Amino acid sequence: MTVLDEIAGHIPALRRYARALVRERDVADDLVQDCLERAVSRQHSWRRDGPLRAWLFRILLNCHRDSLRRRPRQLVAIGDVAQEVARPGNQEAHMAIAEVHRAIAGLPDDQRAALLLVALEGMSFDEAAATLDIPKGTLMSRLARAREKLREITGRDRLQHNTGRHGR
Amino acid sequence: MRGKSPITDDQLLAYFEGALPSVEARELAARLDGDETALARLAEWDRQNAMIRALYDPVAEEPVPARLTDALNSAPGRTGFLLRRIAAAFALLALGAAGGWLASDLRFARVDALADAAIGAHVTYASEVRHPVEVEAAQADHLVAWLSKRLGHDIAAPDFASEGFRLMGGRLLPGRTGPAALFMYENTSGQRISLYVAPSNGGETAFQFSEEGDVKSFWWLDGALSYAVVGNVGREVLRRIALDAYDQLV
Repeated sequence: MTVLDEIAGHIPALRRYARALVRERDVADDLVQDCLERAVSRQHSWRRDGPLRAWLFRILLNCHRDSLRRRPRQLVAIGDVAQEVARPGNQEAHMAIAEVHRAIAGLPDDQRAALLLVALEGMSFDEAAATLDIPKGTLMSRLARAREKLREITGRDRLQHNTGRHGR
Repeated sequence: MRGKSPITDDQLLAYFEGALPSVEARELAARLDGDETALARLAEWDRQNAMIRALYDPVAEEPVPARLTDALNSAPGRTGFLLRRIAAAFALLALGAAGGWLASDLRFARVDALADAAIGAHVTYASEVRHPVEVEAAQADHLVAWLSKRLGHDIAAPDFASEGFRLMGGRLLPGRTGPAALFMYENTSGQRISLYVAPSNGGETAFQFSEEGDVKSFWWLDGALSYAVVGNVGREVLRRIALDAYDQLV
C-alpha cells in the first residue's frame, strides 16, 4: 500500500472532522482538499514525525488556521446559543442534536479542535496532543473547558427535568 | 465517603478517556461509588460523545466527492513523486559507479554548511543586547515582505507562541547562495532562538541535527528554500519548534 492509498483511507475521517469543525459542507470539503494537496506535496516527509493520522490532522488544522487568518469567521457568541437552545420546545431528542451542533459551533476554536479529536475521532490524549502540538496538560484543560461549556449550553433543559423528578 | 479524597477533574477526565494506568483506573472506579457529582459528570460526557458521534459520524459514510480523490491523483504527487524517485535512483546508481560514497559525502558537506551559517548567525546576533534585529516585530509585515523580495521567494515568520517564543524581528544576511533571512524569537525568560532561511539549489531532506558547543540546530531543505532553527535550548524543545516551523511553512 502506498502512502497515497493510506492517505485516501483517512479521507472519510478528515471530512467528518472538518464538517464538525466548520459546519458548512462546502467549506469543510475545501478544507479537506487543501489538506490533501499539502499532504501529497509533502508525502515523503511524514514518516519522520509519527503516525500518518496525526500528521494529516495537523495539516488539516494548519489549513484551517490559515483560512481563519485569511477570512475571520463570525463565530456565534456562546450567550446567543445558550439563549436559543433554552427556548421551550427544544427538548425532543432531534432538537437536542441540533443544540449540540450549535453548541459546538459556539466553542472557542482551540477547544472545539481538541474536543473533536478526542470525542469524535477517538484519539488518545497523546495522539491528540501531538496533533495539536500542545502539551498534554494544555490538551486536558481545553477538553475540560469544552465539555463544561457544552454542558452549560446543552444541559440546561435536562437539569430542569431531573430536578422535577427528584421533587416528585 | 469515609477516607475518600475528592476526585480531581483531571483524574476524572483521564479515567473517562481510558488514559489512566489500569491500577489507578481501578482505584478511581472504587472511589466513584457514591460520588454523585462525579458519576453525573461521567454520564454527561457519555451523552456528549453520543451526541457528537450521532451528529457527525454519518459524514464519514458519505461517498467521497470526486474532487477530493482527484486531489490525490492529479496533484504533483502520484507521477511527479515517482519520477523524482526514479530519477534519484538512477542518479545514485550513476554515482555509485563513480564512487558514490565520496559524492554523497560531498553533498552532505555542502548542505551541512547551512547549519554552520545558521549557527554562526545565531551566535553573532542572539547575544546582541541592543541590536539583535534590524527590523522589529512591530513592523512584521514590512519585514516579511522585504525579506521575501530580497530572497526572491515568499517566506514567512512562523508563530512559536505555543512554545513560549515571540517574534522579536529579523534581518537580512549575506549567504553563500544569495541573501539569507534571520528571524529572531525570545521567550519571557530571555532565551532566544532563530530561524534562518536561505535560498537552496533544490532537493528536500528530512530534519537534520547539528550542534556546536551549546548551540543546536535542526535544519532541512525544502525545494527552493532551506531552513534552520537554532538555539541554546533543549533538543526536544528545539525539535518541536522545528516541527512547528515546518508545519507553518508547508
